[in-house]
Formats: sequence, structure tokens, C-alpha cells
Amino acid sequence: MVGPVIYTFGTQEQKDRFLPDILNFDTWWCQGYSEPGSGSDLASLKTKAVLDGDQYIVNGSKTWTTLAQNADWIFCLVRTETTQKKQEGISFLLIDMNTPGIEVKPIITIDGDHEVNSVFFTDVKVPADQLIGEEGKGWTYAKFLLAHERFGIAGVPVVKVQIDRLKNLTAEYNDADLNRKIAELEIDLEALEFTELRTLAAIAEGGHPGAESSILKIRGTEIQQRLTELYVEAAGQYILPYEGPDGFESNRTPSGPEYASPSVAQYLNYRKTSIYGGSNEIQKNIIAKAILGV
Amino acid sequence: MNLNYSDEQNMLREQVLKFCETNYDFIDREKILESDSGFSKDNWQQFAELGWLAVPFKEENGGFNFGPVELTVLFEEFGKALVVEPYLSSVVMSGTIIENSNHKNKSSIIEKIISGEHQISVAYAEPNIGYKFFDCYASTSVNNNILSLNGTKSLVLNAGNASQFIVLAKHDGLSALIMIDAEVDGLSIQSFKTIDGQTCGELTFENVSIDTDSIIASGVDAEALFNKMMDLSILCISAEAVGAMNASYMKTVQYTKEREQFSQPISNFQVLQHRMVDMFIETELTKSLLIKATLQLDSNDPNAENTISALKVQVGKAGRLIGQNAVQLHGGMGVSNEMSIGHYLKRFTAIDSMFGNTQYHINKYQTNQ
Repeated sequence: MVGPVIYTFGTQEQKDRFLPDILNFDTWWCQGYSEPGSGSDLASLKTKAVLDGDQYIVNGSKTWTTLAQNADWIFCLVRTETTQKKQEGISFLLIDMNTPGIEVKPIITIDGDHEVNSVFFTDVKVPADQLIGEEGKGWTYAKFLLAHERFGIAGVPVVKVQIDRLKNLTAEYNDADLNRKIAELEIDLEALEFTELRTLAAIAEGGHPGAESSILKIRGTEIQQRLTELYVEAAGQYILPYEGPDGFESNRTPSGPEYASPSVAQYLNYRKTSIYGGSNEIQKNIIAKAILGV
Repeated sequence: MNLNYSDEQNMLREQVLKFCETNYDFIDREKILESDSGFSKDNWQQFAELGWLAVPFKEENGGFNFGPVELTVLFEEFGKALVVEPYLSSVVMSGTIIENSNHKNKSSIIEKIISGEHQISVAYAEPNIGYKFFDCYASTSVNNNILSLNGTKSLVLNAGNASQFIVLAKHDGLSALIMIDAEVDGLSIQSFKTIDGQTCGELTFENVSIDTDSIIASGVDAEALFNKMMDLSILCISAEAVGAMNASYMKTVQYTKEREQFSQPISNFQVLQHRMVDMFIETELTKSLLIKATLQLDSNDPNAENTISALKVQVGKAGRLIGQNAVQLHGGMGVSNEMSIGHYLKRFTAIDSMFGNTQYHINKYQTNQ
């Protein structure tokens, strides 16, 4: 996500400093976008950065921060100015997670996992050369990043692998109802994949992913969620046991197919996909406004 | 057609509602889930004192002689609060079988269920038979003149707390319901947490010796009794689902009125309004089939079995739609384990998986037509 922002809007110095480590998987990044009061209305964000000499002082909080507990860096949308139009006072800052004043608190999701977090900033000092582009232009970079994010979220390759896996796992049942539903899903996936290829072709000719990428996000997450439903359906009643007697670490597994218990965790976990990266309702607003012009 | 509840039924509903308001908020429930037994013994004792454990039993066995209507009243309220106490397994499932069986001591066993002293679970599922419960592998055999039981039973609700099990097994090649003490030699129990925070267990029987008195139903009688128990159990979890649907859409409406984005409550947005209307419509449609099925079961209508399948399908589909949209409209908060809303989705998912899922009952309905 942050890679394209840095190589498109960053200074040469920033490119040299951050991109090689990203390419080598030496640094992990997390995303500081959502705030408790700013979800779908992202531009209303309140985390504040005040320039003080050659550094910004950051105060505020971010939420639903995926894998912040493992991240080396966070890219953050911060408010550097209170403006009439809320989008105009936003800037894009890169912050080292080891900076004093950053606190990460886990949020446990309904699948029982620790994937997301709250991140709190108290007088966090960030060198001013970690600002991307111009102060106050952060919203432009944020939207650019989101368009790229939607590509990843579409998840076509992962879904392909998971559909094949489901077919293999359930081949022995010869269940006509299940097989029909899998085929319908594959057909939808074909349409999505070629839509993605059309968008990629346009980018290859020098274009940028625009509002069309919202199609990828909406349909991609719908397909992923339906796939998780099919896993649950295939496992039937055997989804019921969840944790072993000693929790998830247990070696003693319940009866039924091996994929049963992970299926329901995945089903619950994937409810997030129609919420994150701009909820699917917001994606439809984007298409309505930017493409249909209504 | 009079579809009004009686004063007595309304009083029961009020009583359960009050109990849940006082003793069953989300934090109380979390504490219960974390306990070793997975339910509250205090609550269970209160259920006994309030007479709830006696609801479906005949007067001659110390019960109130209430029927499916009263059970659905109870379960609807349980569903709103996501009650986890093992009422379904111990009172509805085991109670129905015992009361209609030829067990020679059934009165004294039912007495102990009603007093809250004993919990009993039905062991019907197995690792490899899906929903074809009568195709079970657990079976009796005679070795050295001793009748014994071998096999595995899965997904036994509340197994860790049961003092006795009613096991569906083959005896002389026919289906049989066999009553077995939890403490008996050769029976090992492994307990698991379920996806919705309840508990279930896997039972392994290795040469467990039984006497013929413990076979409380056999052959076609056993299967008929088992099916009767299934129908009533589906009705009860469907009522529970209706309660959970009700709570889900109402909590969602409340949340969207409070949550502000774009300088206004998100309930102002028409797309969300329509989504919540869909949730409401599905709740009402489910309630309709629930009432239809309840009345048919109550009057032993021959169409009841089919209506039960229709109900189970509606519960599965509506539960999914309502559970998913409730989470969606709560945004990130919906997938947070600290909010109750995601726990309704888990319960809908568990309910769909039990006693035949949506696809199973679509096929059953189609075959029965």
C-alpha cells in the first residue's frame, strides 16, 4: 500500500531510505487511517500533527490497525491544519513504531484472533523529513493509496487457490448442491478476474486505478465472503466445536473434517472485508458519484 | 384464527425477560462463558426455582404440562439475551425422550431434571455420518454373555456437565436409545468450546457394559421418538433465533441512530434504512413460520414435519442475512468481540449447523412434497 505512495510522491531521499527495505521484506508497515470517530467518514480524522522546528508533534489515536503489534513503521493520516474543507488539512506522515509515546493495544475480533489494534499517540516526535509530499495534500495521497489497496483486497489469486482447495476437500461427497454453488462462484470470479485485467491493462498504458477499482473491492470481498460460507456449509454440524480443550494450542482435535473448525474462524474473520478499505457501501457511493455522476 | 398469547404465556415471557435484564447482560454472559462448566449453576438453580425446568413435562411427572407454545416463549427470550444455560440439551432433548420412553424410573429421573440436580445430554451425532443420525456406527454387541457398547459420539451438547447420556446406537441391527451413566467404565469424554461460546463433547465408548433396562426405546419406536425430539428441538432453536433476530435488528437501529459520520447519524442514509427494513422483514417472516410450526406441532398436525423443515430453512437464511448485516452496519465495532452484536452472528451460525443445515432441509422439504 505505502510502496506506490513513496515511489510516486516521495523525495529521492525517502525512496532510497524506505523502498529497498520494503522490497526485501526487512520492514513491516501498518496503516494509520481509521480513528474511533472516523470510519467511513475518514476525512473527519482528528489525530493532530503540529510542526515544531524540524519535527511534528503527533497526538491522537488510530484504530483497527492491522498487525500494528508486529509493525516497524506506520503510515498515518494526520491533521496539520483545521480548514473549512476537512480534506484540505490532512497530511501523510511516516512514523517509526519505536518512537516514544506510541502505545499499541490489542482488539480481539469475533473469530477470537488478535489481528487489529488501537494505536495511541502521545506527544510523538516525528522528524519533518518523514512527511510525504506537501503538507495539506495528504488526502490526495490517501486516495491514491486506497485505489491500490482495493486491487489487493480483490484477492483473486487467493480465492482461486481456496476454491481449488474446497473442491479437493469435498470431492468425496459428490454433493450436487455444493458443486453448483462452487461453479456459480467460479463464474463470478472469472468476471472479476477479467475486470481486474482490464484495469491493469489501462494502468500499463499509463493510467491510474480510479473509481473502477471500487468494483474490484465490492465484488472481490463478496466472493471471498461467499467462499467462506461454502466452507462452513460443507462442514455442516462439524463447525460446532471451536477451541480444543486447551484452547487453540491443543493437539486434541474435535471430530469431523479437519477444515471444519478453521472454516468458521475464517467465515467470522472475513466479515471484516466488506467493512475495511472503505466499506462496500462507501465504494458504491464512490461509483455513483465519480462514474455515474449522480 | 386467534394468535394471541394467553395471560399465563405473557407472564412467562415477562418473567424470562426480567430475569435476563437483571442477570444476563453482556458482561455477566462473558463471565459465564469463561467459567469451567460454561454455564451458571446459580442461574440453573433459579431456572428450577422459577419452574422453567418443569415447563414441558406432564403433570404426573411433576411438570406444568405446557407445550410447544410455552417453550417458544422461553426460547425467544433466551435468544434475545444469548442465554447459554443447557436448557435445550437437558430439558427439551433429554426430557422429551425420557418422558416418552419406556424407562422404568422415568418419574424419578424427570424429578431430578426439574429440580436442577441432574443434566442429561443426547448423544446422536458421529464423526462420519453427517446428518444421517440413524446410520450410526455406535452399536451394542454381546461378548461372554455381557452386552456392551462401542463407538464414538460427537458434538454432544453440554457433555462435560451431564450425569447421564442418552445414546443413539444400533442394537440387534436396529436403532436404539440407550441410557448410560457418565461415570461408567469405558466411557471417555473430551470437552470443547463451541463457536458460540457453549460447550460440547466427544464421547468414546470402549466395551461399556449395559443392561437391557437401559435400552429405553428401540426399533421404529426409537426412531419415531428421536424424530419427535428433533422436531421440537428445531422449533426451540428457531424460537431462539427469532429472539436473536429481534435483538440484532433493534440493536442495529439503535447503533445507527447514535453513530455519527459525515456530521449526521448514519441512520439518515437510505441504503442503511433499507438494509434494516430487510432485517425487520426477515424477522417477521421467520416469526410467521415459527408460529405456524408451533401450532402444527401442538396439534400433532401431519404437516408439522414439513413446516419444521421450512422453518429451519428460513431460520438459516434469515439468520445469515440479519447476523451479517448487523455486523456490517456496526462497522469495525461489529467484528469486535467486546460487542454483543458479533455473538448473535456466531449463534445464528451454530443454529444453522445443528439438526440439519439450510441445504439439508431444503432437500428434505423437496423430498417430502
